[in-house]
Amino acid sequence: MAYLLIVDDDEDFASTTATVLRKEGYDVQVELDIDSAVKSMQSKPPDLAILDVMFPEDASAGFELARSMRHESGKLKNIPILMLTAINTKFPLGFGSKDIDDRWMPVTEFLEKPVDFDVLRDKVAKLLRANRAND
Amino acid sequence: MASDESIQPAVFELSLPQELPVDAEIKDSARSLPESLLMRNALWFCRVRWLVIATLVCYGALGLFPRSIDYLEIRSPGMWPFVMAGILTLFNLVFLFLARAKTFPSKIIFNLWGQIIVDLVILTGVVYFIGSLETNIAFTYLFHIVLSCVFFSRRQSLIVTIMAIVMFAACITAEYVLKILPSMSLFAESFHEQNHSPVLATLTVNFFFAIGIWLVVWYLASYLSSMVRRRDFELTGTNLRLIAAQEERARHMLATTHQLKAPFAAIYSNAQLLLQGYCGDIPDEALQVIQRITSRSRRLTTEIQEMLQLANLSSTSQQSLPHNRMVSTELLLWCKSQVDPIARERGITFKVNVRPVAMVGTEDHFKMLFVNLLSNAVIYSHRNGQVHICCYKGPDSEPVVTIADNGIGIQPDKLPHIFEEHYRTNEAVQHNKESSGLGLAIVKNIAELYGIRIRVESRFGFGTKFELKFPASNGSPGDNMKGETKWPIS
Repeated sequence: MAYLLIVDDDEDFASTTATVLRKEGYDVQVELDIDSAVKSMQSKPPDLAILDVMFPEDASAGFELARSMRHESGKLKNIPILMLTAINTKFPLGFGSKDIDDRWMPVTEFLEKPVDFDVLRDKVAKLLRANRAND
Repeated sequence: MASDESIQPAVFELSLPQELPVDAEIKDSARSLPESLLMRNALWFCRVRWLVIATLVCYGALGLFPRSIDYLEIRSPGMWPFVMAGILTLFNLVFLFLARAKTFPSKIIFNLWGQIIVDLVILTGVVYFIGSLETNIAFTYLFHIVLSCVFFSRRQSLIVTIMAIVMFAACITAEYVLKILPSMSLFAESFHEQNHSPVLATLTVNFFFAIGIWLVVWYLASYLSSMVRRRDFELTGTNLRLIAAQEERARHMLATTHQLKAPFAAIYSNAQLLLQGYCGDIPDEALQVIQRITSRSRRLTTEIQEMLQLANLSSTSQQSLPHNRMVSTELLLWCKSQVDPIARERGITFKVNVRPVAMVGTEDHFKMLFVNLLSNAVIYSHRNGQVHICCYKGPDSEPVVTIADNGIGIQPDKLPHIFEEHYRTNEAVQHNKESSGLGLAIVKNIAELYGIRIRVESRFGFGTKFELKFPASNGSPGDNMKGETKWPIS
């Protein structure tokens, strides 16, 4: 059973997403802040990390976590990352899937909130399949 | 457990907003010019010096034609212009080399001072040979005085003025008072040869007149120059503050969007949980209520986004925007891709005839403009309708974009109101309840910001066509794209 880690400070959103993904048969863990997420990842690396971007203490903490996973941590380097955020490209300083970049936004996929469950389910399944194929 | 006393209280004092830190180079520019500009000026001085050298050589060459010398009733200059030109050439080459060799960029000020001192010494020599008091050649010192007022601080320009006075005084003293130098003059007869009695008095008066004029010129030029520089410094500061305010506004908008959209994303997700049966069976009536909650929260999310976009556009000035060069083909196809999903849902097809034309503006704004117009065209089309997207060069090479649909159209009396905020015709509301009525207000704001002329043509019940004429952006979209003849997309 694939193990997914959701890191989002919005408990309502995170638990909804977790419910949908658990129903799909995944083992899902929710962490509401970055420190707990880092500890959780160190003790049990997930098969897929679903990250929010903006956190109360740092508006770009999600990016920072993604960067540290990709560039600093050997154990977490190859975990696919799905970024889920309410920000999109329609804003100055906004971003979207076109901005996925190894240095600035090193994530595997990007989805904008609110997200349709069908899209979420498909995306998660696709990322896990691709990761298994790479292994 | 630690006792109460062992925990030191943490203290934080809220500081008042501070002036923006101004770059050291900009701060220095209030007194003298920034280093980058001084560097350019050092090179410019060297270029101007070639003209002076050429003039000296020409004057020296005149001496090789005795008839012309006799005709002008002047003395033959001899070799001194060639010697001076030679010395100046040597120094000029050294200054050029030092200015271009970027090993000591911070030493450019020494280069400039070196140039000024050498120029003043050579000029004093020229003044002596041409006739320090017999001619007005001494006024050429004014060039150096005025230039130093422009490029240096007031104190430094005063030093240059005093140096000029000292050198001129030394020349006069050696030539006329101490008579250790033979009298030289361009003219055949000098004051020495005239042997008039009031020579010393004339010399003194002329000398003090000259330096009096120099000092007045220094005072006026340095005063005006420092005023201009201070104004420039203030403008730079204001500009920096404007840019910072613009960035702060964008950051604020991003944070506000997130704060407002995130709760609706949570509401939407929870409503979806109920709708999709994750929480067990729900009666049909309740499902309808949840459906309404879902669609309203989705609509509100879009509305929040549009309201923030509009607020941001209304408070934006064109001068403070980053301007990028875009190519119509890429831009319009990207915007089309954004509305493709809704178009597919409604069975709408696109007919695209876009030629590559250069557009200049802020990419985000142009995307907002076209996505709004295209989504309107799709939304207000009838099922299985067609939307035409055209782009071509107008008569003055300006980009022209037309977006036309064969949808519900707009009644003539309602047409003048469509760009008003929150305005929606009854027919539009009946056709599509989801819209906020802000899309065309956003389009209007962007059009005003960039001087885009919009013409709307509509036949009620048959469709609407928007024609956008952009200001000419002076040039083709790329070196390898000549006009609109290559790579049309259809």
